[in-house]
Amino acid sequence: MPAEELELIQRSLNGDLEAWGEIVCRYKEAVFAVTLSILRNYADAEDATQDAFIRAYENLRKYDLSRKFSTWLFTVAANIAKNALRKRRRERDPPLPEMDGDPAEEVHTDLRLAAVRAAVAALPEAYRAPVVLYYWHGLSMEEIGQVLGLPVGTVKTRLHRARALIRAKLVEQGVIQDAVG
Amino acid sequence: MRWDEVDELLRAALQKEVAEGVKRLEGLEERVIQELARRPARESLWQRIREFLTRPTPRWALVGAMAALLLGFALGRLTSPSPIPQWSPNLFVIAAPGARSVAVVGDFSAWQPLPMSDPDGDGIWTASIPLPPGRYEYAFLVDGKWIGQDPLAEEYLRTFGEYVSVRYVGGSRENLSS
Repeated sequence: MPAEELELIQRSLNGDLEAWGEIVCRYKEAVFAVTLSILRNYADAEDATQDAFIRAYENLRKYDLSRKFSTWLFTVAANIAKNALRKRRRERDPPLPEMDGDPAEEVHTDLRLAAVRAAVAALPEAYRAPVVLYYWHGLSMEEIGQVLGLPVGTVKTRLHRARALIRAKLVEQGVIQDAVG
Repeated sequence: MRWDEVDELLRAALQKEVAEGVKRLEGLEERVIQELARRPARESLWQRIREFLTRPTPRWALVGAMAALLLGFALGRLTSPSPIPQWSPNLFVIAAPGARSVAVVGDFSAWQPLPMSDPDGDGIWTASIPLPPGRYEYAFLVDGKWIGQDPLAEEYLRTFGEYVSVRYVGGSRENLSS
């Protein structure tokens, strides 16, 4: 862990909220990517991101300084998002129009990226988070396992399955060619 | 399209998706600080007692694991052993003495674990999976640990930073890869 970040955490542990604000600034986008992968809704992901930073601060004394801080923070965020998802399901899952983007705009930007996003969005919930943590955050299998509370083998099978599902969808839509790589 | 090209597409698409939502995070620092400043600095005694009571105890986890292990052993003894099938391109074999669970995963199962069995308890786990002619990528899961290099595989490739094995059924690499 960089010394500067360690100092921010130690100051936060002593109640310095400005230091914690700096941590929020550094990690908000990465935490947002975690919550978005689970909740698939920008507004819910925003709320969960805020809750994650509040919960992390309140539980900061439980953070083991020998662990990677980002992994611990993503674990907190993933748990908050999973709880929010369960709550949303109890209250009848609303439709998720925000993730679809503007179709007209997407036609003009990149059809392939839009198709990939749609394919990721269509993945079962259990597969989306590992995909985002691997491709967006660049986490290792072990770190993804820690964040999501899964055995490493399960992470690997989910990543393989997710990628195969996405590829099959893109082939089916004619976005990419079907050829063994 | 090659797998690494699919990987690149995925990275680009996810970056775009997150980037489009990031504007919502403007001012998040201030909102978090305000919310924290509004709250009591430390958990109440009741919260701490509740947390202590609901925290899983390692001792109980160990007892649960031992009970599950004994139950699994007893159930295993009750089932009758079956002979190991003859080797065929569809037979998956791995030596894993002492393993509690072994499975094969691959593109033929959409990477869902298919349980393997060791009926006579000699540590050789097998699964016979009917497969049409084709090229198949697979790996083993031994007690949840990824084993990507099968000595019986025809080739290996690295994906997600790990090995997977490749097997050709009903033909050679040349006529099945195209």
